[in-house]
Amino acid sequence: MASLSTAWSCFVVAGSGLRRAVKADGDDPGKPNSNYLQTSFLGSFPARVAQVRGGSSSSRRRGPSVPFVKCENAQKDEFENVSVERPPYYSYLDSTSGQLEPASGARAAIPGEEYWPEGTASRVRAARAPEPTGKSLGSPSYGKSPGSRRKKYKTSVAASESAGGHSRSNDLLVPEAASGSSQTDLILSDSETPETSDDATEEHKDSSTEYVVYQTEPEEEETGYDLDKKLGRPHSFINPKVRKPIEEPLTSEELWWNWRKPDKEQWSRWQRRRPDVETVFLKAMAETGQVKLYGDHPTLTETSLYRARRHLFKEERLQAEQDRLEEIGPLAYYSEWVSAWKQDTSREAVQKHFEETGEDENTQLIEMFQHQTDREYRIMMGTDMRIPRDPLAMRMREDQIKQIWGGDPVYPTINYIQDPNEIIDYRGPDFHEPTPNMLAHLKEQGKIISREELEKILAKEKTEEIEITDMDEAMARAVDIGENDKFGMNRGQRSPIELDLSCG
Amino acid sequence: MTLSVPLPQPNHFFNSSIEQRKRLPGGIPPARPGYHLDRDRRASNVGPITAAPSLVDSPSSFPLFQRPPTQESLSELEPADPDFYKIGYVRSMRAYGIEFKEGPDGFGVYASKDVEPLRRARVIMEIPLELMLTIRQKPPWMFFPDIIPIGHPIFDIINSTDPETEWDLRMACLLLYAFDKQDNFWQLYGDFLPSADECTSLLLATEGDLSELQDPTLATTMKQQQGRVLDFWGKHWHNGAPLKIKRLARDPEKFTWAVSVAQTRSIGMQIRIGALVQESNMLIPYADMLNHSFQPNCFLHWRFKDHMLEVMINAGQRIRKGDEMTLNYLGSQKNNIFMQRYGFSSPENPWDVIEFSGNARIHLDSFLSVFNISGLPDEYYHKSPDHLPNVGGTFMDGAVLAAARALPTWSDRDLPALPSMERKAAKELQEECQQMLVQFPTTLEQDQEILDSMPQSRTFEAAIKYRLHRKLYIQKVIQALDMYQELLLY
Repeated sequence: MASLSTAWSCFVVAGSGLRRAVKADGDDPGKPNSNYLQTSFLGSFPARVAQVRGGSSSSRRRGPSVPFVKCENAQKDEFENVSVERPPYYSYLDSTSGQLEPASGARAAIPGEEYWPEGTASRVRAARAPEPTGKSLGSPSYGKSPGSRRKKYKTSVAASESAGGHSRSNDLLVPEAASGSSQTDLILSDSETPETSDDATEEHKDSSTEYVVYQTEPEEEETGYDLDKKLGRPHSFINPKVRKPIEEPLTSEELWWNWRKPDKEQWSRWQRRRPDVETVFLKAMAETGQVKLYGDHPTLTETSLYRARRHLFKEERLQAEQDRLEEIGPLAYYSEWVSAWKQDTSREAVQKHFEETGEDENTQLIEMFQHQTDREYRIMMGTDMRIPRDPLAMRMREDQIKQIWGGDPVYPTINYIQDPNEIIDYRGPDFHEPTPNMLAHLKEQGKIISREELEKILAKEKTEEIEITDMDEAMARAVDIGENDKFGMNRGQRSPIELDLSCG
Repeated sequence: MTLSVPLPQPNHFFNSSIEQRKRLPGGIPPARPGYHLDRDRRASNVGPITAAPSLVDSPSSFPLFQRPPTQESLSELEPADPDFYKIGYVRSMRAYGIEFKEGPDGFGVYASKDVEPLRRARVIMEIPLELMLTIRQKPPWMFFPDIIPIGHPIFDIINSTDPETEWDLRMACLLLYAFDKQDNFWQLYGDFLPSADECTSLLLATEGDLSELQDPTLATTMKQQQGRVLDFWGKHWHNGAPLKIKRLARDPEKFTWAVSVAQTRSIGMQIRIGALVQESNMLIPYADMLNHSFQPNCFLHWRFKDHMLEVMINAGQRIRKGDEMTLNYLGSQKNNIFMQRYGFSSPENPWDVIEFSGNARIHLDSFLSVFNISGLPDEYYHKSPDHLPNVGGTFMDGAVLAAARALPTWSDRDLPALPSMERKAAKELQEECQQMLVQFPTTLEQDQEILDSMPQSRTFEAAIKYRLHRKLYIQKVIQALDMYQELLLY
């Protein structure tokens, strides 16, 4: 609590220092300080008066030894400016003005001139125009003598008298010599005020009216195209200085939204080249010049050949890397990915370090990896999408990519567009081949058997004939009413029929 | 035609002031403040009339009248009476960035600050409909604002006018009525209109003035016009007319003045009010103080939303402080039309025409290329380098454009012109022009002298200026042909 008491004692001194000079506390034990305290921390720290009192009493104990309390920690100049007022209940940063606004009572920002309804700008301008000041010399004649308040520069020459007899009103006759001397003051004062009256600017929409300073030297002006553009004169659309030459417009083939006709008039769309990942890759590689093809499209042979080559190269490369790792040691190998590790990474250095500090290779490796940055790690591992691994073969053109993976799902690519005029051809690629003998074909496949075989099979599968007397109840109870051929009409025929049944 | 053509306004001031300096012996004598014949600031008397600054001082551009290009402060221009703007301001008319100044030749509107060339046209004045006097050009006559009460005999007079031809008489009646109507804005504004002796319209010109024109057709036209006006007045303001009518124009001069004001200051625009799109003749209070220029920097626009007429600066127009705001009144017309309607003329009217007889023709394309004129024949323009103000006055101005149109030319695609033939043709044309000049009773210099001395009246002055401008124009054509012959290169 010692620190607390000292803190509070500092407070005491500081607080009282705000109001009045620090008084020696030795005079009056107890009371005056508390008075100070109470006045100083009136609203803010009501709860702490007691503590302060405690602090002050502790400081009082030290009183006799030290004439007046001194702050140990704080300097005299550090005053904490405590406001008597409470902080506002809620305040926020106004999004439009960027200033602190109280929660209540703030007005919404007035939109700028762009958002005013039509005609407001002119009304505002009219309202802002300053009122003319100035005292007029003459007075209106209310239609009686038109032209009476003009300043006439004609002298009273005995010229032709016109019907407007009042034209020689001499009130305003200002001969120049007289004007120079006597009425100069009046005229000057008049001349200033109408100027101000008529100087109502409508230039600046929102800013206050300011006078434009007349510059005697011509400023650097734009010329040529920029001047025309600024003045609104007719000018070409593009600045001729920065204009790039017009390239050939894309042919309709190239435009992505255009229907494409199939190339080389095939019978069926299925006859076109179907893009394969490998094929497209290879074509791209050929275009970048890494690989030489025989024609302009890789054949299957070439495709497989180069796929094998790529595989082999990859293996070779991996092997080389492995060898390198074994050769120079892991520390040197992986230090490629740690740019912050500047120390010597050769095997000897590693060995030396091991001897010195006892850290073996792995530990040193770990130590080195502590210096690796995140990005480097990701590059090393090759797993981050954001850091692209870019083998040359991957730099494919857009149409090549589109061939394989398709294009923008929102704006589909040519391949996904169907030609509305297309006559859909369901023929297969071997359409030209004669219809095979289906029967023989199916027979070979074993899907069809001949009728004889069928019959044979069926015959094998015949159901067994069970000889049972043809006697059932109904028959048993039947009265023989002479249906049987007693007189031998059908006798001869029964047995052959029975025989047949048993056979078939 | 918003040509971004330099012919910067200040030039004209310089020229004018230079001229003044020359004419006024030492300082500014008190006796002659009124006769600064700076061709620039025409009496906007008749308000917007007299082309102000566009009337470049040709003498300064003549090699004969070279003047040192010094600047004189525009002490000629004084700010207008503050009440002028105040009466409008109170009635919700606004002027932004401009001042109304008054010079020896009348009112003008000048920019009080710079305006950068921007893509949007800037409004410099907006005038509400309530301040205007508007009447539809065709029957049914619709008046905006509707000040004529039902049954007032003035309506019958207006109704009796011919819709096609007598629009100015209608406007004059309306104007006179407005002067008489209590609490009408024009009672106050009328004090700032040019009075009868300041108005340069030829309707107010006397016989003598008209004969000074040295243009008989124009003189007869004007006489007809005057007769027509007087007839009209006589017809409707006879002795038996009701007092309501009589008090509007007690004498024919007043009526003639009203007609001249109507002719010179009214603007015919197509406006939309409510659902109706109408062509109307409008007398617009403050917009008629704008002077004319063939390269205007302002235009008028009707804002339908609150029925305001806006005077707007052309987009892309750079305005310096003190530039005069100008309108194009009539478009492409010859000087005599301007003279007839507005009472002013310009030596630089790019549409002025000289009738050549004879077969001499010059090659159009080479003529245009000599003076670096570009554009289609309807819109010839020339470019002078921007950074050089035409202080000393270069040769090129509207008169050369007019020459390009007026001279008989031939153009046959690729066929080159033979220099000798060209020169010959040019010489022939020059001779014709010289003959025309000779046929005038007075010469250029004499006209100039007359102007330098005190002309009796504004109309006289205007007439003299008209013929002077004509001669200047012809002289310019001669000079242009000279230059053409010189610069004909192969």
